[in-house]
Amino acid sequence: MAAFRYSDKNPSHPISFFEFDAMHTRIEVLLTGLMQERGESLAQEVERRVRDMERRFNRFDMKSPLSVLNTRAVADSVEVDDELFMALELCEVFRVATRGYFSVAALSGAASAAWAQGAPYVLDGATHSVKYADEGVQLDMGGFAKGFALEQVLTLLRDSGAESALLNFGNSSVAAIGHHPYGEWWSVGVENQVRRGEMACEVHLCDSAMSVSGRAPSGEYHIVNPHTGAKVAQDEMILVEGRSPLVVEVLSTALYAAPRSERVEIVKQFDGYAAWEIVCSRSGSVERKRIE
Amino acid sequence: MNRKEFLSDCGKMGVAGVALSLFPWLESCSEKAKQEVQGEKVRIGIIGTGSRGLFHIKHLVQMPNVEVVALCDNYRPHLEDAAQYYPKAKQYDDYRRLLENKDVKGVIIATPLYLHAPMTIAAMEAGKRVFCEKSMAFTMDEALEVYNRRKELNGVLFIGQQRLFDPKYIKAMQMIHEGAIGEVVGVRNYWYRNNDWRREVPSPELERHINWRLYSDYSRGLMTELACHQLQNGSWAMGQLPERVMGAGSLVHWKADGRDVYDTVSAIFTYPNGVNMTFESIISNKHFGMGEQILGTKGTIDLVTAMHYTDEPAPKGSGMHQLIEQIERGVMSNSVFAGTSWAAESSSLAPGKPIMQNVKVVSGESSVGAEADGSKELLEAFLHSVVTGKQPEKVLEESYYATQFALLADKAMHENQILYLDDKYKVPYVPMKMK
Ligand SMILES: NC(=O)c1ccc[n+]([C@@H]2O[C@H](COP(=O)([O-])OP(=O)(O)OC[C@H]3O[C@@H](n4cnc5c(N)ncnc54)[C@H](O)[C@@H]3O)[C@@H](O)[C@H]2O)c1
Repeated sequence: MAAFRYSDKNPSHPISFFEFDAMHTRIEVLLTGLMQERGESLAQEVERRVRDMERRFNRFDMKSPLSVLNTRAVADSVEVDDELFMALELCEVFRVATRGYFSVAALSGAASAAWAQGAPYVLDGATHSVKYADEGVQLDMGGFAKGFALEQVLTLLRDSGAESALLNFGNSSVAAIGHHPYGEWWSVGVENQVRRGEMACEVHLCDSAMSVSGRAPSGEYHIVNPHTGAKVAQDEMILVEGRSPLVVEVLSTALYAAPRSERVEIVKQFDGYAAWEIVCSRSGSVERKRIE
Repeated sequence: MNRKEFLSDCGKMGVAGVALSLFPWLESCSEKAKQEVQGEKVRIGIIGTGSRGLFHIKHLVQMPNVEVVALCDNYRPHLEDAAQYYPKAKQYDDYRRLLENKDVKGVIIATPLYLHAPMTIAAMEAGKRVFCEKSMAFTMDEALEVYNRRKELNGVLFIGQQRLFDPKYIKAMQMIHEGAIGEVVGVRNYWYRNNDWRREVPSPELERHINWRLYSDYSRGLMTELACHQLQNGSWAMGQLPERVMGAGSLVHWKADGRDVYDTVSAIFTYPNGVNMTFESIISNKHFGMGEQILGTKGTIDLVTAMHYTDEPAPKGSGMHQLIEQIERGVMSNSVFAGTSWAAESSSLAPGKPIMQNVKVVSGESSVGAEADGSKELLEAFLHSVVTGKQPEKVLEESYYATQFALLADKAMHENQILYLDDKYKVPYVPMKMK
């Protein structure tokens, strides 16, 4: 259950805040200007929505639509619901636009290289069915689900009249509705990877989102290069900013996995998105370079 | 990371003293201790130059302050293998003759289990300082006899339980004693392999000599050969000894070749506080390999991989909470919280944290030994004691009880009963534990 907190210490900008663990990380939502009851009911709706997606895209849950696909779509064409179908369409678009550096088939092991080049699955728009291109294919939506969930939560909040909100999904994905009550934007600091607690750079969000990819805080490399199936061992962070929380997430992952020489071409495919390479050195200096 | 780095790390963190008081046997590896023995060449003899004996020799040849002056094995080809490393060493086929050699200060015994006790006692009586491979003895009575004899003679005795000297185990136990995983509520050990556990035999009459571990006349099989390594994990972590044991063993798969030790065993050791420690071994499936895990109310430490997993979500969310405060006060400034993805550490898929850097993980597949498993440190500590004549505290008791409980579990399996360790086998036990 989401932990909900309400503060009207500042009567002109009452705050609803809630957080809960989902998709192996935590989501935090801060909304201003709502009555407590409204805030509470939104918290419940958001949690329900996120949990639903968590189940849907969990390949380890034997009953999830995704795991059904993973077991059956090798042999047969499998019909899926609208949402999963759309998600798979989007993933294919992203795979092509990122030159294969974002791929939900990245974890297919040795076979993954092939599916970075060509489509790992075939979609049939008429029947909404999916068939995997080869028996080696296994889809993992982990790199997609968080951004996708944020996207849907933002829509839900906007539709319910929220005008000022900040959402944080596991620190790596942050999205804003409107601006801070006392500023023209929400100001978010990106933490220095080498000197924890210090700020590496600052991002201003207003009806926009940002995503950071790089080594996990524990130091682990966890992003896989779909072309090789191996983990990418790069120490820089990639920061992407733009309108959609889903796109920034996908794009930052792909850029991190891609070699420097290909990054500019990939960014060009995404209109209205800005990306940076951020290098934090032990001496404390931070180098921030726009990819363009 | 080797032992020296471990100690110097402790020094840098200002806890070298603590580490030494906690694990006194570490002292033999400290800088001060190293100086103590500088210049002296330690002269030792090796009894049993089969695969484990050779494994030790390969470490010894790298150590400049050691000279192997005597070698003994009653199987000629093995003696010759060892002699290649030390051509000048005197060769024996009867260990009693080796023990008469006055040049020999310390002996390493790496013979089949049933010979451990008689050889160890004879060696101590001959005034030698002894390192005998695990398990300590073939029977419970013999283990006690060895233990008591060492005391009477005020001798030096090390048993080949190398985990007690492995930096990653030492670090893990220190963390456990400091409460990193809360209260210990379970200990899991398992060791799976998929092979017949046989060695090649050049001629049939050598079968029992070479494949001694398959016959209950010489070995107690998986319990004495594998379990004993893992059975100290519970007492080391909790500072207490098991109270009773039950178990089941059988010959499931490798039954056509005449062996009479189990190829499948499971045992449960229950501690006075109700906590269970399990041991399971199967040698006809190797998927899960070797595992040793200490389970606590707040987390888990995997001893084999040196990883720490927490059951509690890490404190988090300060960035957003700062933001709330700002709005409450009617101000705006940035708050730093964004970064690369934060995984809920309590999630079962969360990767966990290494407990130290540069850990080498040992698979447990080799029946000879593995690099970086503490064996070398154990050997160094022994060589140091050969010079100083000092028996490190508490270590022998851990090895003693590991052997007793391995043997007791084996007995429980054969008698199909729940067994308690008889009082006559209880020797003073001081936990290697920080209060
Ligand atoms: N600590 C560890 O990780 C580890 C690993 C492997 C083996 N070991 C232990 O080492 C010991 C030896 O195991 P191994 O695998 O080397 O066995 P092995 O059969 O390869 O070697 C034993 C040697 O002892 C010799 N031997 C037998 N009877 C003798 C006698 N009366 N006098 C002199 N020599 C005699 C044999 O000829 C043989 O060369 C066992 O106790 C085993 O449990 C420990």
